[in-house]
Amino acid sequence: MMRRLKITFILALGFSLLMLSHQLSAQRVHVFGTITERDSGLPLPGAVIQVEDTPVTSVSGRNGEFRMYAEVGDQITISFLGFLTQRLQVGAEEQTLDIRMEEDQKMLSEVVVTGALGIRRAAKEIGGGTQVIGNEYLNQGKTVNPLTGLTSKVAGLRINMYDSKVDPQIQIVMRGSRSLNRNANAPIYVVDGVPIPDISRLNPNDIESITVLKGANAAALYGSEGVNGALMITTKRGTKGNTRVTFSNTTTFSDVFLLPGAQNEFGQGQNGVYDPLQHESWGPRFDGTMRDFGPELPDGTQPQLLYAAPNRDNRLKLFQRGMNLQNDISFSGGDDNSSYFLSLQDVRITGILPGDESNRTGARFNGSKKFGNLRTSYNLNYVTFSKSFAPDGPWLSTYTSPANLDYTQMVDWQDPNSIAYPNNYFTDLVKNPFFLLDNYRQNNDQYTINGKIELDYEVKPWLSVIYRLGFYMDVNETRNTTGKFEGIGRRNVNGAVTDINDNFQRYNGDLILNFRKQFGKFSNNLILGQNFRADNSKRVTVGASNLLLPGIYNPDVRVGELTSGSGSSITEYRSLAVYGEWTGGYDNFLYVTLTGRNDWVSVLDPSNRSYFYPGVSTSFLFPEVIPFLKDSKFLTFGKLFASWNRTGNVTLAPYRLNNPYSQTNGFPFGTLVGFTPSSAYPNPGIQPEFVTSYEVGTQLSFLDHRLHVEGSYVYSDSEGQIFNASVSRATGYSTAIVNAGRLTNRIVELSIMGDVLQRQDQKLNVGITFSRINNNVEELYEGDSYNIFRQSYANVGQSYPSLMVSDYLRDPQGRVVINQETGYPQVSPVETHLGTMVPPYQAGASVIYKFRNLSIAAQFDGRWGGWLYSEIIPRQYTAGTHPRTVAYDREPFLYPNSVIQQEDGSFVENIAILSPGDKAFWDFEGKIQSNTAVKSDFFKLRELNLTYELPQKWFGGQRFLEAASLSLIGTNLFILRHKDNDHGDPEYLYNSTDGYVSFRQVPPFRTYGFNVNLSF
Amino acid sequence: MQLRHTITLLGFITILFQSCADFLDVNDNPNAPVSENLALSAKLPAALVASVNQEQGQLNQLGALWGGYWGTSSEGINSFFHQKNYNGPGMRDVRDGYPVWETTYTTLVYYHLIREQAEQEGEPFYEGVAKIMQGWHFLRLVDIYNNVPFEEALQGTTNSTPSYEAGQDVYQKAVNLITEGISAIQMAPAAQVAGTDDVLFKGNKTLWAKFGNTVKLRALIRQSEKDNAAYINAELAKIAAEGSGFLGMGESALIQPGYLQTAGKMNPFYESYYRNVQQAATANYQDIRPTTYLLEKYTERNDPRLGQLYLAVNGDYNGVVFGDPVVNQALYGRANTSALKGPLENNGQPAGLLKSPTQASVLMGSFESLFLQAEAAQRGWINLSAEELYNAAITESFVYLGLNGAAADEYLNQSEVAYQGTLDQLILQKWLSLNSISSIEAWNDFRRLGMPQFPNSLAINNPSVRPQRLMYPETERMTNLDEVVSQGDDQVTTAKVWWAN
Repeated sequence: MMRRLKITFILALGFSLLMLSHQLSAQRVHVFGTITERDSGLPLPGAVIQVEDTPVTSVSGRNGEFRMYAEVGDQITISFLGFLTQRLQVGAEEQTLDIRMEEDQKMLSEVVVTGALGIRRAAKEIGGGTQVIGNEYLNQGKTVNPLTGLTSKVAGLRINMYDSKVDPQIQIVMRGSRSLNRNANAPIYVVDGVPIPDISRLNPNDIESITVLKGANAAALYGSEGVNGALMITTKRGTKGNTRVTFSNTTTFSDVFLLPGAQNEFGQGQNGVYDPLQHESWGPRFDGTMRDFGPELPDGTQPQLLYAAPNRDNRLKLFQRGMNLQNDISFSGGDDNSSYFLSLQDVRITGILPGDESNRTGARFNGSKKFGNLRTSYNLNYVTFSKSFAPDGPWLSTYTSPANLDYTQMVDWQDPNSIAYPNNYFTDLVKNPFFLLDNYRQNNDQYTINGKIELDYEVKPWLSVIYRLGFYMDVNETRNTTGKFEGIGRRNVNGAVTDINDNFQRYNGDLILNFRKQFGKFSNNLILGQNFRADNSKRVTVGASNLLLPGIYNPDVRVGELTSGSGSSITEYRSLAVYGEWTGGYDNFLYVTLTGRNDWVSVLDPSNRSYFYPGVSTSFLFPEVIPFLKDSKFLTFGKLFASWNRTGNVTLAPYRLNNPYSQTNGFPFGTLVGFTPSSAYPNPGIQPEFVTSYEVGTQLSFLDHRLHVEGSYVYSDSEGQIFNASVSRATGYSTAIVNAGRLTNRIVELSIMGDVLQRQDQKLNVGITFSRINNNVEELYEGDSYNIFRQSYANVGQSYPSLMVSDYLRDPQGRVVINQETGYPQVSPVETHLGTMVPPYQAGASVIYKFRNLSIAAQFDGRWGGWLYSEIIPRQYTAGTHPRTVAYDREPFLYPNSVIQQEDGSFVENIAILSPGDKAFWDFEGKIQSNTAVKSDFFKLRELNLTYELPQKWFGGQRFLEAASLSLIGTNLFILRHKDNDHGDPEYLYNSTDGYVSFRQVPPFRTYGFNVNLSF
Repeated sequence: MQLRHTITLLGFITILFQSCADFLDVNDNPNAPVSENLALSAKLPAALVASVNQEQGQLNQLGALWGGYWGTSSEGINSFFHQKNYNGPGMRDVRDGYPVWETTYTTLVYYHLIREQAEQEGEPFYEGVAKIMQGWHFLRLVDIYNNVPFEEALQGTTNSTPSYEAGQDVYQKAVNLITEGISAIQMAPAAQVAGTDDVLFKGNKTLWAKFGNTVKLRALIRQSEKDNAAYINAELAKIAAEGSGFLGMGESALIQPGYLQTAGKMNPFYESYYRNVQQAATANYQDIRPTTYLLEKYTERNDPRLGQLYLAVNGDYNGVVFGDPVVNQALYGRANTSALKGPLENNGQPAGLLKSPTQASVLMGSFESLFLQAEAAQRGWINLSAEELYNAAITESFVYLGLNGAAADEYLNQSEVAYQGTLDQLILQKWLSLNSISSIEAWNDFRRLGMPQFPNSLAINNPSVRPQRLMYPETERMTNLDEVVSQGDDQVTTAKVWWAN
């Protein structure tokens, strides 16, 4: 009995103690503090603080600060990817917690990347090159287009911005050219698992990270489009916890720079004689007098202009300071079963040419919800984009006009008594650039809707079924207008309008079975999938080239008929695929992956349209098996990887198997029809092209993860290229679609990143990426040379594309041979190969220095070894504005370093034959293309970012604002070019070409400005 | 239940693949017809219009500048700069060049495909027309470039670097093509003759035969300075044997697809050299002026055609000098020189060259045919009266320019005009008649005979340096360089066409 009582007593005591402790623990306390990195003392934003076994969580703010309520005695965990998780118990007394997180030395092996099909997997499993670019690094320069923000940050990825308009277009090439088809070297863009055709409208601030899968292998499951690698974009999601609101404003200004060189010694006229009506600079030397300029004005006055070289480049007055305003707001949050992320962005850009502008407004909603074993997620992104810009005329008019032209007088072109008025402009051979800016407009409104629904059902712990349906729609409404202006002769402008409506829709569906099973030390992951793709597009064009009234841009209000291009076209593309991937792992250090995919595409003949391609890759974490390395402090992580694969690719557009006929030359004339074939020779038997590649590489991490080194060697061999080759026009055609040629690439990639300085309150991180691409054309379908585009060629034994130019006839010593009768240099009968038009060497460097609340980040970009040529140069020669046209004062001169060919074929130095220094001579010189080519080497400071985080103490005493930062940012602030290059920025290339500067090319700009970031 | 779902899904995949073939069969072009969809009558008009556009555009312009007809006003000093300076590389340029080669071969392939289809479908009329027109264009190509691809041309990628053949061989092969073309046309049964789709002769077989014979005659006359009597006589005999003769009075080869007063559907000469659809003067109209030499030849002979062709400035007809590098507004300014006369300066009535925005385009004038016959007769190649042909040619030119026969008679009565039997006079009159219509023949005759002796471009220092042919185009250098290089000299002023003197 006693014993029972005793037990009861003990129980009661225990119970009351339990009660007591419960009462104690129910005492809520305020837990707060800061989370920093142990080594550097820098704050660690985004760490998750969670009360164990409860949903109570908080996330550290910008300065590592956090605050939350917990109960005394609670265990809380502080975790952050890449750091060891800490646990501590909540004490009874409130105190500021100073939590120092230690980096997890093994964590690199736990790094998770977004692999093919959007399936997240450990980086250690992947047998190929990958690189992850986080949100902050991507947005260092606060670019509007995410691709611009990636430039020079990934080894082997070359990104060029190719104009200065308000919607700069981007060329992106991963690991060199695999295809002679210059539009077919871009990687596939995959946003949250769904391939989409374009990401330039994506808000970079919405991007959580971009995983760059470089090898065709990693991307093989995307099929043909993955042949050039993949950009796997993961957009932000809400996380469990409080609602976070962030607001950011970026304001930058753009200034034009690097105009091509121009002479400022001679003014308008012809043959050394002044002419008030000519725009070309072949007149007399500037002499500081006032001269008649242009025709008499309607009121009888004769305008005059100072005939003198200006101090400042007058051409700059065509341009204005552009402005770029970005406002972003985002909301995010979530609970145990659901999350959401909502962002809104508004971007307003005014261009460097007056009147050019663009606006982008976009919204994204990402959500997820869990129903038992079924996880659902859905994204919706809607972006409206509008732009208005002038076509290429104004700049062309400007760089061919005399140096003393005062553009400030030309702005008011609507005043009939002004010299700027089109009927009074000084010449009728070119138009007033300000009239061109106002009167010729291209307007475009674009609406992009992009979304996906994903259902992920866990059938068994080892099997899940995923269905993912993506939808992308892009509506483009274009209206190009030319205002009617009634003038005399050349000054007359017919009113014109072209309305184009493009509608593109893509449906993409993947059904994926994902098996995962561990057998002892063997892990297995098998993915089986099926994909369908349907692209539909429709274009409607209506145009009138003779409008009745100025200002009414309706093709109906016209004289005569619609323009001949008026019509519509429908394009359909479809593909189906099945694919599989098996990854086997042994004891967490050896992994092997096999992939296979079969595609069926609609654009080929049914007998050729099915093709299969396999791949294999392996990854080996060697320190795990080498005893002395296993716990080494020196080498903290090590992986070797290798892969081989063969990927089929079809770059053909729909309907290219037959030659389409169309009506041109004014047909139909009433009931009389007249059809002619296209000048592209079709090839119904076209086959898929194949790229075989292998890659070996390593990822190493040293000294407590302070130094990371990653290197790889890649070899790729593309065969049977589908491309539109230029053929002799005597074949009756200008191009032919062929399966031609073989290209190989040997690529070395290296990235090194290290914390050079790591102190309590400061940290210096330096990262360098380098790549060398050795491209070689191995064979061509016929012959050993193919013209690709203008001066670019594919030549067997050379790097693609080769720059071939006409050059002077030279003696063996390289001296120019002069024609004794005319004094003109002779032109070599064969073209000269200067080099490749793609820089084979690329390097990027990133320097990030943090000191307390201040950080400085700089991104450098260097590329060298390539060539470019500019079509602006010949036009400047013709117009007499090129500096070389005044090198000999426009007088007959002895051509430097020139020779005369004797009767017997030998060469003697030219000491007597003078070359005429007149327009015809220099015009001829401008046609010698070697004068237009230069090396395209450059080194530039691409981005500079200076950020100050406002100290946390400033926010004390209020709960509204959590963090704030202020940044100064700039892009293209500094550039070094090859000494011969006064053409422009070698990066600004025309229309997806390589090394080609069009005569339309508006000079580049640099930007500078600031950014304010607030979180609530 | 989970497994059941998986099986359902797998079943779904299976069904999907059964419809796979249909799903992928979307590659028939819904936007444009292919060759098989189109009848010959839907193709021939476009080919003929392409031919005349080149003749009236590119070739007429080049010939007018290098054949002594045109210069520019002072304002247009930089227009046609490469032509004025005989700048070969400038004219072969892929971007800013003068693509006679490219345009010709593109037009040739139109006829090549028509010919193939006609042979397949058994349509000898279309086959004949295609052959005659191919002959026409190959002759033109040799005139501009000398050695060109013939046998290996027009075959797409079957022969993507066609080899060049000697200009003389191509000339003979082109003449043979025309001979074959004429006999094919003559064979065609009445039911298979083209109708309105033949925008040249509306299916008139005899006119096609005459046209073919005239083109052949032109090819033979071209080689007059080459001691080729045996070949020439043999070919003349074939023409005689065929029996249709040549284009005669009232038989100009005119192409009229049904031009409209709409941009791109107007007569191309009118639209390019006079007024656009909005009635605004074109750049060419403002820049191009007749040469002083040309105007003198008309005025010296009291030629009434002058007033039909050009506008007087204060009662005088003022010309310019080709290639003048110096601006001289007083003498050569736009306002002080004679522009072409058009309906707007003629009370809305058709003027000489410029009649209306919908006037027919001249492929070959009856007057050219008559001058060719006159020269052949003058040389004793054909047994006809050279004088009658000469008179008829001039009369036809008068009629074409809107004058009547009486005016021609009056003109012919002048001692300087009345037929004298010299080649000099005959070629000069031919030159005056072809002015700005078939100007390329003026340059051809100059290269053949050095007649008439119009002055050289003032931009050229050396008076004896004249343009001989165009350089092979850059597109050809880019795609077929070995062939280009193996043709040897490729300079504009030194590389002569085989028949040139």
